[in-house]
Amino acid sequence: MKKHGRDILLIAAILLIGGAIALILLLSRRQGAFVQVRVDGKAVALYPLGENAEHEIKGVNGGVNRLVIRNGEAWVESASCPDGLCVGMGHIRHIGASVICLPNKVVIAIVGEGADGGVDAVTGQ
Amino acid sequence: MQKASGRKAFQIARRLSHLPAALISAALASAVLASVALFSACAKDTKTASAVREVFAMDTYMKLSCYGDGSEAAADEAVSEIKRIDALLSIGSESGSVRRVNESGRAAVDAETALIVEKAIELHGETGGAFDITVLPLMELWGFTSGDYRVPESSEIAAALEHIGSEKLSLSNGELSLGSAAGIDLGGIAKGYTSDRLTELFRERGISSACVSLGGNVQCLGAKPDGTPWRCGIVHPFNKDGGEYLGIVSVADKAVITSGAYERNFTDAKTGRLYHHIIDPSTGYPAETGLASVTIVSSSGILADALSTACFIMGLEGSIDYWNASGRAFDMILMRSDGGIFITPGIAGSFTSSGEVHIIDG
Repeated sequence: MKKHGRDILLIAAILLIGGAIALILLLSRRQGAFVQVRVDGKAVALYPLGENAEHEIKGVNGGVNRLVIRNGEAWVESASCPDGLCVGMGHIRHIGASVICLPNKVVIAIVGEGADGGVDAVTGQ
Repeated sequence: MQKASGRKAFQIARRLSHLPAALISAALASAVLASVALFSACAKDTKTASAVREVFAMDTYMKLSCYGDGSEAAADEAVSEIKRIDALLSIGSESGSVRRVNESGRAAVDAETALIVEKAIELHGETGGAFDITVLPLMELWGFTSGDYRVPESSEIAAALEHIGSEKLSLSNGELSLGSAAGIDLGGIAKGYTSDRLTELFRERGISSACVSLGGNVQCLGAKPDGTPWRCGIVHPFNKDGGEYLGIVSVADKAVITSGAYERNFTDAKTGRLYHHIIDPSTGYPAETGLASVTIVSSSGILADALSTACFIMGLEGSIDYWNASGRAFDMILMRSDGGIFITPGIAGSFTSSGEVHIIDG
């Protein structure tokens, strides 16, 4: 009886670990945020928000935007466009947020599933 | 001693003999759990057909998302509709009525433009002149149309004010006359009109769930496909860099449109003063009413678009008076320059913010 109890304990422990792994799988999947780059409406690149990196994005008409991803934030460091509004749009990190460069037709957006305080749309940009 | 340890070893061996069975069952259970978890995450994506379009039009970036059967065709139609309205209402358009009126001072206008101008004149009267489609000469004077910003002389502003005021316009029998006004620009209402039209188009095509963002003017049809409301973030006027929102409002079947001093502005090199693009038509200078941002929530896009500008110019007290006078026909979220947030009771239950929120009680 006592031995049987221990077996159950062992199974329960392994089950618990299994469940925890499943939960981690589920959560990590939902919270996985990416930086999506779109040029003239077409998705051209997808980078994990969690990995520090710098990329040169080629927009329309030879325009270039320098994208920086660092510490879970993404922003345009510099750009060839005349107004530089995209650089002024600041850093983004929540799902649904975006930086837009109209002259180069470049959209940099945080995409992903689930709840990180994310939104479906942003007003006032 | 030896006997005891021997028994213990036997017990461990006995337990270990159960281990494979326990492991297999646990692994099976985890596999089931994991696949259920993964499947539930995937199922959401495949349940509803959806279409997304991005459009660069009306000098801004637009994104349309719609869900349900026929969403692809409806989204394509919506893109065509945006291009049609852009060509119709744009100030520079060769085919539209606006340019003809502005060039000759008096011209026949198409029925759709006439309807929008009529609505604009009506809103001009209701808002005590705060919303005005004739402010174009002032926008040009300050350089907001060209990007060559400068602070005009007060004499220049006084001269421009002579030609401003929608009461100067007259519209009859499909003919629009500028009177002593210099010209009209429907830019302050065109996007709101467009999002109304798109919502209508989606509804006519049997789409029950859609969300459009026309350069930060958001309008939603229905709720999200899963039945929950759309979460609409409002850009924080002072914390754009932090990636934080002023707040998040959850809506269904509503337009959510914001005007803020932070959107377009310039600093005068001589004085270091900041000038923004929301010009008060009564003074000719950027509106200084102590507000940093105004968001209007309404089932009408055209109303929300016009009122976000008008309320910014009217200030907090003026906006509350207008809201009461209108029969509380819309909801609003105002942020004062000191960071205080004021919201109407209608959205108190669907607005979240980490800021200091006051509910307007009339």
